[in-house]
Formats: sequence, C-alpha cells, structure tokens
Amino acid sequence: MTQSADGAFIPISDLAQRDRTRRPKGFFTDTSVCIGCKACEVACKQWNALPSDGYEYTGFSYDNTQHLSGSTWRHVAFVERPGAGHAGAQSNWLMASDVCKHCTHAGCLQACPTGAIIRTEFNTVVIQEDVCNGCGYCVPACPFGVVELAALPVPAVVQGPDSLSGQVAGPLAHKCTLCYDRVVDGIEPACAKACPTDSIQFGDIDELRARATRRVADLHAKGIPEAYLYGAQEGDPGTSGGIGPLNAFFLLLDSPETYNLPDRPQLPQNNVLPGYVATALTALALGLGAALAFRRR
Amino acid sequence: MDPTPQQIAATQGPGTTLPVTDRPASGPGAGRDAALTTVTSQARGSYYGIAPIKKPHWQWEIVLYFFLGGIAAGAYTLATIAEVFGDRRHRPIVRAGRYIALPCLLISPVLLIKDLGMPRRFFHMLRIVKLKSPMSLGTWGLLAFSGFAGLSAVAELAAQGFGRGGWPARLAGRLPRRGLGRAGSFFALFVGGYTGVLLSATTVPLWAKNKYLLGPTFISSALSTGAAAITLALAATGQDDDAALHALEEAEILALTSELGFLAAQGVHAGPLARPLLTGKYGTIFVPGVVLGMVWPLLAQLHGIRRGRRTRRGRIVTSLGVLLGGLILRWTLVYAGKDSADDPAAYFAQTRGE
Repeated sequence: MTQSADGAFIPISDLAQRDRTRRPKGFFTDTSVCIGCKACEVACKQWNALPSDGYEYTGFSYDNTQHLSGSTWRHVAFVERPGAGHAGAQSNWLMASDVCKHCTHAGCLQACPTGAIIRTEFNTVVIQEDVCNGCGYCVPACPFGVVELAALPVPAVVQGPDSLSGQVAGPLAHKCTLCYDRVVDGIEPACAKACPTDSIQFGDIDELRARATRRVADLHAKGIPEAYLYGAQEGDPGTSGGIGPLNAFFLLLDSPETYNLPDRPQLPQNNVLPGYVATALTALALGLGAALAFRRR
Repeated sequence: MDPTPQQIAATQGPGTTLPVTDRPASGPGAGRDAALTTVTSQARGSYYGIAPIKKPHWQWEIVLYFFLGGIAAGAYTLATIAEVFGDRRHRPIVRAGRYIALPCLLISPVLLIKDLGMPRRFFHMLRIVKLKSPMSLGTWGLLAFSGFAGLSAVAELAAQGFGRGGWPARLAGRLPRRGLGRAGSFFALFVGGYTGVLLSATTVPLWAKNKYLLGPTFISSALSTGAAAITLALAATGQDDDAALHALEEAEILALTSELGFLAAQGVHAGPLARPLLTGKYGTIFVPGVVLGMVWPLLAQLHGIRRGRRTRRGRIVTSLGVLLGGLILRWTLVYAGKDSADDPAAYFAQTRGE
C-alpha cells in the first residue's frame, strides 16, 4: 500500500497517474546497513512470481542462493571476515544485496538480436518476455553475470500473441526489471519496499547519488574510511570500459571482488569493431593470395 | 599483531577450511566463534569460487553451425575466386564450391533455430538490425549468403543442363552467375568470420582476450575447410585434375599457415587464460586436432607441391584431416571458452586490466 506525503493511503485507481515523470530511476544499495535478512530476495520472488530454487545448502556461509539467476533477481552475498571487527559497524560479516545494475550502456541490451531488451522511460533495462526467443547471447554479454536463461511459468495474467498464459516458456532470458510494472504506477520496487533497514533505496537517480555521496562522507567521518561507492558515477569502480554509471549502484566496504563484482569491467561490444577490422583484413589478404594462386596457373 | 583476514586468506584457497587453532585468538567474537568447528576463508578475487559471470549455453548445435557455416563460406568464396581469376580448367572447382555451400547453409538455420529457447520465435531476429550485435548482423548475413548460395547453386545446375527445356531451368539459366558469385562472396566471407567476432564480443575471458585473433582464426579455418571440402568432393568423384587443383591447394596452404599463425598468437596472447584450451580434457583433443587438421595436411601439401603431384588417396585423407581439424578447432574453442568463464580468477584478471 502506498501513502501520500500526508500519510493518507492513495487509492489504487489513482496510482496510475502518480509517476509519469519519466525521470531516471535506480537503486542505491547501502551495504553498510544490510543485515542479510533476505527479505529483498523473497519480496522479489513473490512480486515477480519467480519459482523457488530448491533447498540447496552451500555450507560455506548463510548464502544458499549463491548468485543472481534467471529466477533470482536479488541475491544477498555473505562475506565472513574472521577477526575483522569495527567499532560502530558490523563486526565481521559483510552483507550485500546484489541486483541487475541497469547499466548506462548495457552489454545485454547491445547484444540482443531481437530487440527484446529495451531501455525504458526510467533509463532502466528490461527484457520483454514476449519478444525474447532465448538465443542466449545476452547471457555472456553481461559484465556482471546477471542475465540467465530460465524456463519460467508465465503468470496467468500475462496475455500475448503467443498465448503462453499459464505455460512454461523458454528457456528465455530473465533478470531484474527494477519492478517496471510497479514503478510505472508510482510504487517502489518490491525489494526496496521490503528492506527493513533501507539498505535498498529506490528513487530518482540524481537524488540517490547525492544521498550516497553524503552517506560515504558520513561513514568516513564516523571512522569507517573503507566505505566507497561502486558504480555511482563515471570513474567509480564498475563504470569502466564504456559501461558508464550504473543505475543500481552500491556502497561497499571492501574490494569489489570480495562481493564477486568486477573492479574494472569492459563493455563486450568494445570488441566488435576491432574483431571485424582484423577479420576483414585477414579475409582480404587470404583472398588476394588465393587470387594470385589461380591467376598464375 | 593478529593476521588480517586478507593475510589469512592469502594462504588459503577459496572455500578451504581453516582449523580453529589457526584463527586469531583475540578480537571481537573470537571466543564465541571458537564454538564453531570450521570457518571458510576468502581469497582475494574470489567469492567462494563462484563465477562472477555467466557462460553461454551453446552446445553442439552451435559448434556444428560454426563448422558448416565456415565450410560454406570458404567453398563459396574459393569458387568465386576460381571463377574470376581461373580459367576453364577450374570450372569443376567453381561448381563444387557452389554445390557444397548450399546444403551446409540448409542445415545451418535448422541447427541455429533448434538452439533457441523458443524455436518458433526465431523470426524475432528479423525484427531489427543491430550493427553492434554480431548475433543480429550474423543472422542477416547468413540470410543473405543463403539466398546467394541458393541462386548460385540453381544457376550452376541449369548451366550443367539439369531440367533442360523446362521453364525453371530457362529462368535459372538467365541468372547472372558471375555477378551472383561476386556479390555473394562478400556475405560468405562475413559469415565465415563474424562467428569469431561474436565470441569475442562477450565477457568470456578466453574469447574476449583474443578479440583481434578469433575472427581471423575463424576466417582462415573457413577457407582451409572450404578448400578441403572442394578437394574431397573432386577427388571422390574422380575430377581431381592436378593442374586445376594446384591453385586450390596453394590457397589451402596459405589458409592453413594463417590459421596456425593466429592460433599460436592466441596461445601466446592469452597466456594462462589459454589453459583450458591447451590442457585438460579439451587440450587432449585440441593439440592432436591441430596436428592432424593443420600441421600434417600442411606438410603433406608442401611435399606434394615439391613432388609436382599428389595421389588421389593422399588428397582424400588430408582433406578429411583438415575438415576434422576445423571441427575440433571450433569445438574446443567454444567449450574451453565456456570453461574459462567458470573461473573467477580468469575474469578478474581481465577486469583488473592484467
């Protein structure tokens, strides 16, 4: 249920008119206040009707989810650091809720040959389930290992030309939509709504960036100098190689790799032009060689 | 002073168990944690050894398509070169090249569509053109090449007198054979090479690292396997005229040399990233594949040229070797690449700019 500024509940019928501002939206995930409750994982699965991943106990930490997948669009990482206690912060656990980064220049979107992956009016990246044909090229094109193919049941409410309602479709590519279906109606994404510590914050991206910068300064002042932002603005770790600022960015307390995030990732499409040029030159040289061989004979 | 977690981790592999006795005796939680029997430690650059990226799902269908697409591209292009630069003696080469390309291109889309998560949506690829997506451009390139290859094969059949007198043959006979071949060869070369670019334009460490080399390797292999397919077809049907085949064999020598050169460059450039390709289960196939499919045929060809002629059986055997080598090359490159994507250290080595 959504409340207006004065605390009154807004009727559902009015929600549709509420956020048509089309301002860029995003997530600020402040891992310094994450308590590892996994409410975001559960809320995401519930809202998006994603199936359970079964009961697999990893045995290495409280992290039994392990990574983002086609059916898990929020993943809480648990990093145990024996003996690394800090006064005023968590003692020796790092917890971080990972999610699709909704990159400014998204590898998955650029790779998609069907146009199923689109940039929305909120500057987020969404896969249209009724267009995707499951070619899978977006999967290795994501520098953060987010997108994955999965055969998911299509919710009965989804109607499309394929009439897949109620069936299992795919395997098709799936990932976080930044709850497009909620945001378009002016409601915050399910994970942000469920987060009990506001570790996951949703809002206009500019406002989130300003808030995150203040938060880092605040933590530094409180004696936690290792706090930094991952992907908030150009030049931060995670924004390299033409990817640009991430619309879902993070406040981290250790190296990106500790959280299984790349330090300086590259946009895979940077390799397209060099590849074509080198291939064309080779083809030209071999073609000329073959032509000479036939001409001499 | 107590060791920091990083120092502890530096001595431990990911996910290794650290005996309680080795843990710091002081610090917050030390006493409480002593109740636990084991604790997992973290090495830098690894989150419990879980891959930070996802590998593609591609299986044998894609490997076989890369192989058949390469043969079609090589055979068609060499046929065009023989048609434009050769003379009457090279006519069988032209014909064989056109006839080989078509069936390969008839099988290819079946393989590609079978690989899709929802095959009946394959035509969604034809909604858009995306220059930065080799998958998108490749779909269009393959479509165009298939069209040209189909027309070329039909025109070739008509020129040979098939269906003489009927209106389809008369229509096909009016097709501009040479013009079709020249235009089609552009798309053929694209299909032969884009697959390497497609693999490079991913986060897969082994492929991305070799962005300048994978496309050239694939186009070289396309031409060598295309030449081998033509030679095999001509030798098997008794049309292996030495004078005609010499030029083709020289072109094949060139392609094999280039292929070997680019493969060596890949191995050197990729360094430790090439480990899944050169060692382990793929190494035991890749290395013999290179010897059988490239080094040995190359030596046999050079020897044949020095002697002035080659035997029919020799041609058949080396051609089969080149074809098998081309298949092994693509199979091992695809699967070793997928293995490299499972290795967090390989990806993080790339994203640290190492």
